[in-house]
Amino acid sequence: MAAVAEPRPLESGVAPVALDPHVHAHHEQGIFRTYIWSHDHKMIAKQYLLTALFFLIVGGLLAMGVRYKIAFPNVPIYGLNWLLPSYMVSEEGVILPQMYNMLFTMHATVMVFFVVMPLLIGVFGNYLIPLQIGAPDMAFPFFNALSYWLYALSGVMILCSFFVDGGAAAGGWTSYAPLSNNAAYNLTQKGQSLWCLGIFVNGLSSLSGAMNYITTVINMRAPGMRMFRMPLTVWALFITALLLLLAVPVLGAAASMLYLDLNFGTHFFQASGGGDPLLWQHLFWFFGHPEVYIMILPAMGISSEILPVFARKPVFGYRAMVWAMAGIAILGFIVWGHHMFVSGMNITLSAVFSVSTMIIAVPSAIKTFNWMGTVWRGSVRFTTPMLFALGFVSMFVIGGLSGIFMASTPVDLFVHHTYFIVAHIHYVLFGGSILNIYAAIYYWFPKMFGRMMNETWGRIHFWITLIFMNLTFFPMHNVGLGGMMRRIADPTQYEHLRALQPINIFITLSAFVLGASTLIFFVNFFYSMFKGPKAPPNPWEANTLEWTLPSPVTLHGNFEKTPTVYHGPYEYSVPGMDKDFLPQDEPLKPEVKLGGH
Amino acid sequence: MDAHATALIGPGLNPVQPNRMVRFGMFTFLASEAMLFAGLIGGYIVLRLSNPNYIPAGVHLPVLQTLAATAVLVGSSFTCIWGERQARAHKRPTWALFITIVMGSLFLLNQVFEWSHLYHEGIWFNTYGTFASSFFTLTGFHGLHVFIGVLLLIAAWMLSLAGKFDGNNHNFLDCASLYWHFVDIVWIVVFAIIYLW
Ligand code: HEM
Ligand SMILES: [Cu+2]
Repeated sequence: MAAVAEPRPLESGVAPVALDPHVHAHHEQGIFRTYIWSHDHKMIAKQYLLTALFFLIVGGLLAMGVRYKIAFPNVPIYGLNWLLPSYMVSEEGVILPQMYNMLFTMHATVMVFFVVMPLLIGVFGNYLIPLQIGAPDMAFPFFNALSYWLYALSGVMILCSFFVDGGAAAGGWTSYAPLSNNAAYNLTQKGQSLWCLGIFVNGLSSLSGAMNYITTVINMRAPGMRMFRMPLTVWALFITALLLLLAVPVLGAAASMLYLDLNFGTHFFQASGGGDPLLWQHLFWFFGHPEVYIMILPAMGISSEILPVFARKPVFGYRAMVWAMAGIAILGFIVWGHHMFVSGMNITLSAVFSVSTMIIAVPSAIKTFNWMGTVWRGSVRFTTPMLFALGFVSMFVIGGLSGIFMASTPVDLFVHHTYFIVAHIHYVLFGGSILNIYAAIYYWFPKMFGRMMNETWGRIHFWITLIFMNLTFFPMHNVGLGGMMRRIADPTQYEHLRALQPINIFITLSAFVLGASTLIFFVNFFYSMFKGPKAPPNPWEANTLEWTLPSPVTLHGNFEKTPTVYHGPYEYSVPGMDKDFLPQDEPLKPEVKLGGH
Repeated sequence: MDAHATALIGPGLNPVQPNRMVRFGMFTFLASEAMLFAGLIGGYIVLRLSNPNYIPAGVHLPVLQTLAATAVLVGSSFTCIWGERQARAHKRPTWALFITIVMGSLFLLNQVFEWSHLYHEGIWFNTYGTFASSFFTLTGFHGLHVFIGVLLLIAAWMLSLAGKFDGNNHNFLDCASLYWHFVDIVWIVVFAIIYLW
């Protein structure tokens, strides 16, 4: 039958060489090609995973520093004074405001560009897209490897920036001009310049990834894998890649202009030379708002994948899920002004941005509704990945609701640049992206490493994380509404904030527990990698194609024989079938009819 | 396979077509390049609109000379197309590529002269407010792209000399020339907003 003919092997050069798995099965590759300059998407995913987990520790420690300073602004840390230069810590070892600025700037930079994006997109984009669409590898394996190494390079640049004269960038991850483009204000010309370069290189890495993902999804799906049979993870990553492709270059342009302002004396953002500091804000947020969706859409894809598996039910409203993501992506490009309500923006324009932002809440709400509909009356299995995915749904509701508050201009005039914003960010990014990253790691670990992670410790990790993230981030709403500004080193300097200090101390102590709980995860992760029980091919009884392969998938080229896909990925508990799941490459019994699509 | 299964699989995807895929990937890349320039050009437009005396007195850009350079660059896109056609007709595009490379280099050379001329007049990145900032940044970014394009064309030319395009696989040439057309189109926009506005 013509439609299911084997794809013919690709010609040499750019395209994957491994369509015929036997070509590769026979010649062993050296250590360098296997572990370092690997072209295998599965190995690249693992490289991303380990590097990004390292940065998770870095970003986490920076956060602990931020919280320590806010709660105990004048309590010295012994030893810091001989470790760090005098513009960072005082002689007694008290963190100075300049270092505090570095801490929160680099915390956010690291978490956004070096933890959340690489984990969601670098790890799971790489690992899942080819496996879930039945492809042998990415379209351009060379650029895939390049993408990882550019990411690693940008990471080294960002880490090095701590050690240059003046220290790391200290103008916030948003790098607003004129703070960022005047060395006289930010006190670290070199750190801020390295920040620009690092972000630029990181952007190149994202682009090589995005190019690959889009081309792969469009061109390399297995026979029968129609677009509307793709798992929602693939849809999410595909749409995310489009966002990356169109939003990240704009940040690249802005970062280049900032770099030139700092080092070549241009006047783009310099009012004294006719430039416009607000131009930076527009360029940054034109990227920045799509960026927040870049960080949440893949997470939404992951939960859409995990919830049906453990509820043993088809996902509720598959097509609505896809259209909602597409809607979010398109609307995401026209709402950036909601970050700039206090910038002196024209009031009509501000109303327009307000309304478009509130409209974006509609597809978000559709998705939330569908997740609940998926779990509703399912026979739920409360495994660790499921707990994290459910945790995500609940936390995302809180973050989304605070988002709608802020979308309304009059409210935002009051809460802008307060801790309320910080609370919002963390409900969506920690409660959203990070919880789903944990879910995904627990869920796909068996496939990636061939062993199971420990369930008991997984659940303990989940509950501590969930409880302490709420204890940490919820009170931030309160201090924010109480008037506490973001990005201040010492709240006790302000008369009106002194009464809030006990809450700040409470937040910090909770944050310390939250930080420490990560240890449980790391121990479980590394212990299970070597000592965990061996994983069967399909431990969760799921439908997507990666579970039809052995655990771990070792073949460079993935499938011995290109799979054929007969139906969508969420056919759980189909009446009339022998088992309650139906892998995508297994046809239905002729007498059984599917209900939905 | 029985009819039931056939009905379930549906139309399915054609076998992977490497040539199509490479071009597709190139288009995604160019889309992101377009956004890079959109950011820079958008910045230029915003700054210019907010500033009535945008081009400071005393700055005279060599419009005619640059117009000639523009003609050369646009022309080189056509010689490049000629090269593509030849390759598709299984002829070696060596000469067509050579001429394209020469024309591209002429454009770059002109830009170097223009920059150094302005520099000697005392106009540089850090002078004359945002006009100089944008001028050097935009033409610089674009010039860098032309430079990379020339390198790609030189590589294609050497592949052509080595007979690599004799067969059906001229992906590299296709991509290099797509890139070249892109650089050309961007230049027309840049030229229009900087020299003619
Ligand atoms: C219902 C959906 C959402 C709405 C209506 C919304 C609305 C907003 C608004 C109006 C602001 C600006 C507040 C201000 O600075 O005064 C904001 C900030 C922010 N949002 Fe959201 N948001 C939503 C979802 C998300 C998601 C899903 C993420 C990320 C995963 C996210 C991440 C952020 C971040 C990081 C900031 C702060 C940026 C900064 O100033 O550093 N938001 N949001
Ligand atoms: Cu936003």
